[in-house]
Amino acid sequence: VLLTGDFCSRAPPEMVRVSRGLLFLCALVLLLLSEAVEPLGASGSPGGAGDSSGGSHGLQKGCEADVTKSKHPTNRTKKPFPVLSFDYEHVKTPFEISLWVLLASLMKLGFHLIPRLSSIVPESCLLIVVGLLVGGLIKVVGETPPVLDSQVFFLFLLPPIILDAGYFLPIRPFSENLGTILMFAVVGTLWNSFFMGGLLYGVCQIKGTDLNTVNLLACLLFGSIISAVDPVAVLAVFEEIHINELLHILVFGESLLNDAVTVVLYHLFEEYAGVGSVSILDVFLGVVCFLVVALGGVLVGAFYGILAAFTSRFTSHTRVIEPLFVFVYSYMAYLSAEVFHLSGIMALIACGAVMRPYVEANISHKSHTTIKYFLKMWSSVSETLIFIFLGVSTVAGNHSWNWTFVTVTIILCLVSRVLGVVGLTYVINKFRIVKLTTKDQFIVAYGGLRGAIAFSLGYLLDKSHFPMRDMFLTAIITVIFFTVFVQGMTIRPLVDLLAVKKKQETKRSINEEIHTQFLDHLLTGIEDICGHYGHHHWKDKLNRFNKKYVKKCLIAGERSKEPQLIAFYHKMEMKQAIELVESGGGVKLPSAVPSTVSMQNIQPKKPPSDRAIPQISKGREEEIRKILRNNLQKTRQRLRSYNRHTLVADPYEDGWNDLLFKRQKLMEIEKKVMCVSVSLTHVPNWWLHSSDPQAYSSKPTSDDLPTIKVDLASPQSPDSVNLVNEFQKAATQNDPDDDGGLVMKVPFADKDQGEQDNKKEQQRLMRCLSDPGPGGDEEEDEPFLP
Amino acid sequence: MIMFFSSPSDVKNNGHRRFFPYCHIILIPRGVSGHESGGITTFFARRFHHVTDHSCAIIMGSGDSTLSKIPNVEELMEETGFSPAHVVRLYERFQALDKSKKGQLSRKDFESIKELATNPIRDRIIGAFFAQGQEMVDFHTFVRILAHFRPVDKNRPKKANMQEPVNSRTSKLRFAFQLYDQDNDGKISRNELLQVLRTMLEMQVTDEQLESIADRTIQEADLDGDNAISFDEFRKSLEKVNIDHKMSIRFLR
Repeated sequence: VLLTGDFCSRAPPEMVRVSRGLLFLCALVLLLLSEAVEPLGASGSPGGAGDSSGGSHGLQKGCEADVTKSKHPTNRTKKPFPVLSFDYEHVKTPFEISLWVLLASLMKLGFHLIPRLSSIVPESCLLIVVGLLVGGLIKVVGETPPVLDSQVFFLFLLPPIILDAGYFLPIRPFSENLGTILMFAVVGTLWNSFFMGGLLYGVCQIKGTDLNTVNLLACLLFGSIISAVDPVAVLAVFEEIHINELLHILVFGESLLNDAVTVVLYHLFEEYAGVGSVSILDVFLGVVCFLVVALGGVLVGAFYGILAAFTSRFTSHTRVIEPLFVFVYSYMAYLSAEVFHLSGIMALIACGAVMRPYVEANISHKSHTTIKYFLKMWSSVSETLIFIFLGVSTVAGNHSWNWTFVTVTIILCLVSRVLGVVGLTYVINKFRIVKLTTKDQFIVAYGGLRGAIAFSLGYLLDKSHFPMRDMFLTAIITVIFFTVFVQGMTIRPLVDLLAVKKKQETKRSINEEIHTQFLDHLLTGIEDICGHYGHHHWKDKLNRFNKKYVKKCLIAGERSKEPQLIAFYHKMEMKQAIELVESGGGVKLPSAVPSTVSMQNIQPKKPPSDRAIPQISKGREEEIRKILRNNLQKTRQRLRSYNRHTLVADPYEDGWNDLLFKRQKLMEIEKKVMCVSVSLTHVPNWWLHSSDPQAYSSKPTSDDLPTIKVDLASPQSPDSVNLVNEFQKAATQNDPDDDGGLVMKVPFADKDQGEQDNKKEQQRLMRCLSDPGPGGDEEEDEPFLP
Repeated sequence: MIMFFSSPSDVKNNGHRRFFPYCHIILIPRGVSGHESGGITTFFARRFHHVTDHSCAIIMGSGDSTLSKIPNVEELMEETGFSPAHVVRLYERFQALDKSKKGQLSRKDFESIKELATNPIRDRIIGAFFAQGQEMVDFHTFVRILAHFRPVDKNRPKKANMQEPVNSRTSKLRFAFQLYDQDNDGKISRNELLQVLRTMLEMQVTDEQLESIADRTIQEADLDGDNAISFDEFRKSLEKVNIDHKMSIRFLR
């Protein structure tokens, strides 16, 4: 209790509220521990693989529990049967893991309760600080704090983050800038490594620095560790500053793809540091090795990706395990790549990117949502844990501080990054249509954050080969802290100051989708006329190949023939259908919504056939249009930001606009539905009369109306009915006083189409509601909106 | 101002080696003011007064053999902003396409480009080269049309008297718009949109789906309620798309 009290006094006052839960838990744990045979954290060294500092209580545990258990054999044979026994060791490992995860999650929660703080300091910084505090705390009570173990980091913490990044990689901007990204990732990282390694060696040779023992290869090794931009750190910071898409993909793509270079350089230098000399052949082998590692990783990833896509073809009857395939295959890809020391990160990225389009076409909408939530959740927790453990490890590690080395390292890091970016952009700009401006270069250079990967690689070094490991680790940690704290905190003000273009977060409209495709075709055509095989020519070829062969193999049923545009349209329809249902509930509803879920509730979706359409004057129509238009523009102009950790890129930031938006959207859709499909004599205005839900079931439906069609292929349809009901309830609660000002009868257009159309439209709507497959990128999670 | 004549290696650097195995071209380093401005001919004209006839001849070099065949080439370059190298490059392509060697391209010539055969909007693209009622395209029109796809040059000095360059964002968009707007009435009607969609989506889509997409599209873009997309509305709906990127061909720089 003393410990937790101590903790609370350190925490900022606002956090006390948050930490109350934590306090309770900690108290509980301490209580348990005080009676436990082994106190928390002392479990220490036996299981720690080569962990000199000994502590390992958070994560790497493996066999520890067993070891400690065997040390304290219990002898209960003579005692009476224990009614209540105590065996903490039994659950120790998972218990402590859960505790760390809980701590991480609560911290994350806490930061978002303090908006002032989180707007200035990036989350990653706060998490490191928390890690430092916790580490200090553990040290104060006399235990050894755990260190971020490299095994755990590379096998469990890193993959979720990378998979999340790979699966949701924005393919289009990525492939359009692939050349630039590769240039930065490969040439840039090489340059950084050698520049830093070389100059550091030079510095080490200066007399009086106590560094004369550091040889060239060690310096180069250090350079290769420290020069790679870290995807975790970049993600954490860049997602908060909402930089424009181009810069984001440049820096982030670089951080992903430089993995291959880092892996190769690391193994190369580590290998030769023992030998002491490098021949030309070794250099050549290094280059070959790089190609093998990078391409091999991509191949392994693509293989598993295709396998996953193929598997998902057959999951239509066991939808519940669908999401699992995505995770397991990706993880297998990562592990398989690691088996051969190929680039696991590249494998994961390739796997995610390859499988996504096909998997999405095969799996149900819900599975898609599940995948998304799981990925986001895992990556978010991993990231939090990584930063906390960075902090804890800093306290735990043996440090050997050398002023010269650390200062020189930081300065060289900055210098080489700037020089590398400026030099490379000069070359790249010769080939780019849209040039990188000076501002862009600055942000790319400044955004080169280092992170936990560097630390883990440094940690992996063998102390017997590298006596200066502690100094390296200290320098690495310092650089990480410098980049994360100084650069991470100043980058946002700098972005504002330089007025770098921010991200315009919007969904693509159907217009953009159509016109972009049109322009693609146009450009391909023009390239053909000029007789020049450019970017579009190859893209076109690939698309054709994909359509002709790949899709047929990997996508089940009808949807394989579905052109991209139609798929896009389906997604939009789905979104609208959800919004329709949502806003349908937004209109006045009686409090007595039927609590039992029945097909009744979906009945309203079907326009009752025997109501006469209210004729509305032209003027009225204009008025509605105007309202629509104004609202539409407002929402279009709104700048939305995307954050990995707030899953819903919340389109309805404030409550009032929320309602307006939904209603306007509803009317828009409704109007469209009417325009297309409803005959003049029938009123589809169920939603206007939703105050009388019983009425629908009592309405006699004429024979030619379609009956509700439950999509048999989708076992979830009853659930979706459930959802519908919940929307209505939720909406009723949220919106008890409806002014009704915007609820007006929409002019039902003058197009006279037959019942046939009506039927089709209904079926499509039903399909959307029941199981439409994956929805729009970010927003199909509307059901979870308040 | 540095001008130098291409040695083969220079040509290679420019990426045009395979197109110009023999002819010399003039390379003017980038960043030289006036070069990017599209006023390359004004630049030439101005320069020509100060250089001797001898160097003049060298400047035109053996590229002269191609360039001089093209009438009014300077005017053309002035108008389109193409460099002499580009014009030569395009001229060779033009001649390659011109099967009948009349100095003009017919629809047949375009249609015989076999890569184009699979392009869903082939007819529209080809149609864009032919002015109303025209049956043939001469080299100048050919170049003028392709000039739409030249990347925008950022540091191009604004000239007050000059009309908007043909490769500006607006005229690029205008070009695309006209491919939709086949009847030239200044708006994309529902029917025109349907046609485009049908060609792009081929047979796999039902008419009803197409129609609802078209309706949806028009409804989304239509701001003045005339059930058609005007050029302004078209431009608005593509506001966030990087047109410079989407409608530029790199080698035409």
